[in-house]
Amino acid sequence: MTPENLLHRLPSTQKCTFGCPVLDRCLGGGIPCNSITELVAESSCGKTQLCLQLTLSAQLPPSLGGLSASSLYIHTEFSFPSRRLHQLSHAFISSHPRIFNNDPCDRIFVHAVYSADQLFDIMPKIESFLENMNTQLPVKLIVIDSIAALFRSEFENTPIELKRRSSLFFKISGKLKSLAKRFGLAVVVTNQVVDLMGHSEGMNGLKVGNLGSLVSSGRRVCPALGLAWANCVNSRLFLSRNEEVVGEENGSVDVSACGGGDFLPRQTRRRLHVVFAPHLPDSSCEFVIRREGVFGVER
Amino acid sequence: MEVGRLPISASQRGKLIAAGYTTLSSFSSLSPSHLARAVWDWILTIDNLVKRGFTLVNRCCTCRYCEESVDHLLLHYLKISDNEAAEIMRVASHSHRLDGSAGGCGTVNGAQTAWDMLHEEEMFPRITTSCEDLNNILGGGINCKEVTEIGGVPGIGKTQLGIQLAINVQIPVDYGGLGGKAIYIDTEGSFMVERALQIAEACIEDMSECGGLLRKDFQACQLKMHPNNILENIFYFRVCSYTEQIALINCLDKFISEHKDVKIVIVDSVTFHFRQDFDDMALRTRLLSGMALKLMKLAKDFSLAVVLLNQVTTKYIDGSFQLTLALGDSWSHSCTNRVILYWNGNERYAYIDKSPSLRSASAPYSVTSKGIRNSASNCKRIKMM
Repeated sequence: MTPENLLHRLPSTQKCTFGCPVLDRCLGGGIPCNSITELVAESSCGKTQLCLQLTLSAQLPPSLGGLSASSLYIHTEFSFPSRRLHQLSHAFISSHPRIFNNDPCDRIFVHAVYSADQLFDIMPKIESFLENMNTQLPVKLIVIDSIAALFRSEFENTPIELKRRSSLFFKISGKLKSLAKRFGLAVVVTNQVVDLMGHSEGMNGLKVGNLGSLVSSGRRVCPALGLAWANCVNSRLFLSRNEEVVGEENGSVDVSACGGGDFLPRQTRRRLHVVFAPHLPDSSCEFVIRREGVFGVER
Repeated sequence: MEVGRLPISASQRGKLIAAGYTTLSSFSSLSPSHLARAVWDWILTIDNLVKRGFTLVNRCCTCRYCEESVDHLLLHYLKISDNEAAEIMRVASHSHRLDGSAGGCGTVNGAQTAWDMLHEEEMFPRITTSCEDLNNILGGGINCKEVTEIGGVPGIGKTQLGIQLAINVQIPVDYGGLGGKAIYIDTEGSFMVERALQIAEACIEDMSECGGLLRKDFQACQLKMHPNNILENIFYFRVCSYTEQIALINCLDKFISEHKDVKIVIVDSVTFHFRQDFDDMALRTRLLSGMALKLMKLAKDFSLAVVLLNQVTTKYIDGSFQLTLALGDSWSHSCTNRVILYWNGNERYAYIDKSPSLRSASAPYSVTSKGIRNSASNCKRIKMM
């Protein structure tokens, strides 16, 4: 055996890059294919930003860490942020001028879903869509933004409803996983957080994953949808944001830094944490959101 | 009939004669493990242990995983292993029958005494978890011929333990392992090849560290234990529905009879597809218990270890929610051993919830880049003492 084909045979799951080397390093190359990755964060942490960026970077050729694939974006919360996507795509074209000869937005398919049952019902439609793709780039990335919005509103807090809810979790995730396996998809779902009350460590005194307790905006939080859903995902990533006052001489570099009620300059520090993943150690990485996209910062 | 006429190798014949067995009838009533032990006794008397400079400490010097025992040393340093002894017995009993001498040959009787079973169990190495504390509470590791269920919350390291076991089962016999192969049934899609490769490399590194004693053997072993070969010896099945899962488990006996050296079957996780769409819970219970029986039979027939990974769920008991392993009460009868993994502060712990032979105990472990290892804080405690 020669070293060359040893390198060739180096086994690794295919990953979809974030389009940023720092974030990729933290996550071992990006979002893995054939599995479900969950992004957990409170609002305005950058979940949607990361998802939009992924739909663009998935179009990169494998030599640049992408999947050379189109993507399917299922949005549930509010109207699809197409203006922001356009903004990102311009930055994207200018940073990879030779790869794209047409608009990358043409390779992002968008679908709106308004209820959990509807999400389950369109699964066969998605399957036939994936089977009968005739475009040059196959769909290899599915983003569901967000899964929590579907499940948090619709179900009542009664045992029967909760049972129906968790059985729907397993049905949807089972279907998504089998699609992921069949077509080599990377599946990204976003989830919201709930505040933690009392002294218990996690939900019902139960700790899920590596982090002692998740803190965002100075509050202790835990991912929404509970333990049953936690069993349905392969990897869980957590985005946190904490505002801190910065000295005037530093100035604010972050576009999202907001003035607040008082006039002290504030800066939002965002971090990406690995809560659990079969292939990743407990690690974290700071990132900023700029006009051109989401970038990791090394400190 | 004399030993000299048996169709066995010259070295085996030499050992038998040296140990005082010159005729067939003199050892035909012994069990294989007795025979191995008798030959071992002879070698002890000539005291070559001391000559070779081996000291009987509490750990084996060739492989750091196993507790020191006579049987263990026997496998390591002497060329008559239990298998070899069994082979001699087989050949001998065969010749005996051909010889047509009077009946009463001990080896052809079907029944096995509990004494023999005890010996067999002692001789049969367990699959190490690579974490000493965990091995201790498990009585040395995961036992073959048994179904072991391991459960815990997401992110506690169930899959990591599964991958570690799939690799550790391949540790060669010279290093106190089983030298077997693994079947990994993945229902969740959490098996990551690069992680398996990482753990395999760390496992080989560990073996080469303790392989200094048997340097020349190590060269050969190293060839055999290349990371790629380790990955080649894991048969991976990805199943996407419960029907697939049951069908696969029903066909496993055929697969294993074609691949005899499979020594562990890991199902990661047994639960996932059974939590999806079952309105009829009675049907689910029937299917699960059928599957459990099939797995138990596999474990017995091929003397391999079955490890089932399970998820946890909350259960409403006495007005409060408590954690239990999923799949319900009837499922809890299906496994011989039950291990629960849980968080204790920032440390991971394993707890023996059910076992016919082990006392309930808990032990810390940690998940490192090398795989499952001793808990870091526990190591510090030992050093301080």
